[in-house]
Amino acid sequence: MPNFNIDSQKDRTFDAIVIGSGMSGGWAAKEFCDKGLKTLVLERGREVKHNVNYPTTNMNPWEFEHRGALTEKIKQENPIASRCYVFREDATHFVVKDKEHPYVQEKPFDWIKGYQTGGKSLLWARRTQRWSNLDFEGPARDDFAVDWPIRYPDLDKWYGYVERFVGISGNKDGLPQLPDGDFLPPIVLNCMEEHFKEAVERNFPGRHVISGRSAHITEAREIFAKQGRATCQSRNLCQRGCPFGGYFSSNSSTLPWAEKTGNLTMKHHAVVESVIYDEEKQRATGVRVIDANTKESTEYYAKVIFVNASTMNTNLILLNSKSSRFPEGLGNDNGLLGKYLAFHNYRGVISAEYEGMKDQAMSFRQPISSYMPRFRNLYEQETDFLRGYATEVSAGRMVDMNSKGFGTELKNNLLNPKYGNWLIRAQMMGETIPKENNRVSLDPVKKDEWGIPLLSTHVEYDDNDERMIKDFEEQFTEMYEKAGFTNIRMNDSKQAPGLDIHEMGGVRMGRDPKTSLLNEWNQMHACKNVYVTDGACMTSTATQNPSLTYMALTARACDHAIRESKKS
Amino acid sequence: MDRRKALKNLGLLSGSVILFPSCDFSKENVSKVMNNLQVSETQESLMKSLAETYIPETDRPGGRSLNLDEFIWVMVDDCLPKEEQAAFIKGLSLFEPAFKELGGESFQKSNQEQRVTALSQMMVENPVKEIPQEVIHFIEISKSYAILGFMRSEYVMTEVMPYSLVPGKPPVCRTIDPNEKINIYA
Repeated sequence: MPNFNIDSQKDRTFDAIVIGSGMSGGWAAKEFCDKGLKTLVLERGREVKHNVNYPTTNMNPWEFEHRGALTEKIKQENPIASRCYVFREDATHFVVKDKEHPYVQEKPFDWIKGYQTGGKSLLWARRTQRWSNLDFEGPARDDFAVDWPIRYPDLDKWYGYVERFVGISGNKDGLPQLPDGDFLPPIVLNCMEEHFKEAVERNFPGRHVISGRSAHITEAREIFAKQGRATCQSRNLCQRGCPFGGYFSSNSSTLPWAEKTGNLTMKHHAVVESVIYDEEKQRATGVRVIDANTKESTEYYAKVIFVNASTMNTNLILLNSKSSRFPEGLGNDNGLLGKYLAFHNYRGVISAEYEGMKDQAMSFRQPISSYMPRFRNLYEQETDFLRGYATEVSAGRMVDMNSKGFGTELKNNLLNPKYGNWLIRAQMMGETIPKENNRVSLDPVKKDEWGIPLLSTHVEYDDNDERMIKDFEEQFTEMYEKAGFTNIRMNDSKQAPGLDIHEMGGVRMGRDPKTSLLNEWNQMHACKNVYVTDGACMTSTATQNPSLTYMALTARACDHAIRESKKS
Repeated sequence: MDRRKALKNLGLLSGSVILFPSCDFSKENVSKVMNNLQVSETQESLMKSLAETYIPETDRPGGRSLNLDEFIWVMVDDCLPKEEQAAFIKGLSLFEPAFKELGGESFQKSNQEQRVTALSQMMVENPVKEIPQEVIHFIEISKSYAILGFMRSEYVMTEVMPYSLVPGKPPVCRTIDPNEKINIYA
């Protein structure tokens, strides 16, 4: 039956293949499908349909058997996942269990994974800030990594393009280090955050406390209605999946949008083993996929391939895409694939109390708290460490639960709690410096159940990070004191890299093929029809939450790929 | 082979795996089988009485009608690490004798007032009679789960401090009345 194979091959041929359906993969799917490209999206996990597969989303707290707590069995079986703040009774089903996809830790690294439709976009913390030129120019100015091949003007309009579709709430703050976007009304600061803002801005020129910018819809617009999404209801239960589509996820937004075009083919349980490189054509022709359940191998073909498997898995797939032209992994002529991995330093948390403002209170269910953009080393080197940190600042009125006594006394105490002081909490998000020695590689021996080598991680903090934590403590102690706070307590969580879930790099962008893997359009220098637009492409990390930049880079790269295909 | 040696060979005397609730367990039928623990009728009924004692029925439901003893068992069974489970069960088995030392009468035979008085005496820093550490631990754990079960009960979260699944709007600061009842879930 010769025709059978030809037909089958035709059925497995698309205009574009997107590996991964998360934050950036969802955007690639939307962009390609909108422009009429027959697009195959490969997702290694199961299907999670918006509002259909959110099993806990409408559950009340008392309906959870353990009232939100993890069982000892789950904790024992998942030491890594259990360290992640969303891995609680209401959302364990959206986080990959430790044994499901093992990896090798040469140095401790908490790899948090979301294998399902939408990936980790279902679970993200939803903060979204644009990068500024002060970030893009960082590596060149401070002489680390390589120079970014793009600058803010290259991304400006794509940020806006993404923001208008996603829905980003925020204020136009007019800060050079955090360019304003196309914003929906902000989620306003509470009175305690306002108090801190006032104290900081009066005593520390150049430092700002602003409304958190985040992917929450705060105003109805036609574009959101078209996606079937409504305004945020302040449920603060995002990690369960939002029945209103109040926050952005691939599930609620880009993927159903792409599906409506009729151009989307979505395959679940599709573990990508490698990208296929054709030596004669000198380009990639498709991908080799292993069915997660049956372990059957299938090849799919397309003119353009977007790798959006999430930072770690994108590195894994490319390292494993070996051919005689690329024996060390696709596009890896310079041996730098998997290297210069970086992340965000979240270790420092400093909290304090405020004894004033006793006549005010508020509930804790704020969808997003305030934010302090980076203020260290903005225009010149002024500290003993490179770069700096942004900070999330949240505040709420404490309630003292009195659990003294037994019997009616106890019952009375429980039902009549008293207000305590205000509690304020600040968590740093520090830029880490990408280094060659912070890397991932393929384990030479161990393989997973799909026959793919295990990823081996070698990522650690350095002295720069330690000095930055110290500075964070000093600066916030001073700011807290000026604001009249007491009981100031610093905690260094010592958490391993990875738990920030902001791992970036390994397939970095750059101008020179000798020192980078991707060009200014996110194309592989050595294999132009393969694009990488997830966290793996990042040359440096800045101090912004990264997802917005991944989405903007993806939309821009899709536009480029479509223009290129029209040329040929 | 004597019985002790036989148990040792079976690994049942290694400490951490012994979850047998009490020394006279063998004499009594198991009345409740959970994921990890098995408890006897006596233990079950003691926990029921304890939950009722901690948070009694008043004009509002308490431990009995909210089945807080059931919740305590679920949490101990599923959410306590093995060693703490063992300590909890040991504390449970030592509870009655310790209570009797202070209360004079057995817990089950005492009335609410006597129970509360003796429990309070057991939990002071330097009790008149020495209370085994396991018993203190047992009371602390069972009480804290009773509190959790009570505060997160449908009753409290709908009737006393209503929880809203869909608040609709982000919260803002407001001026409070110093005498207002606080809803910790608002």
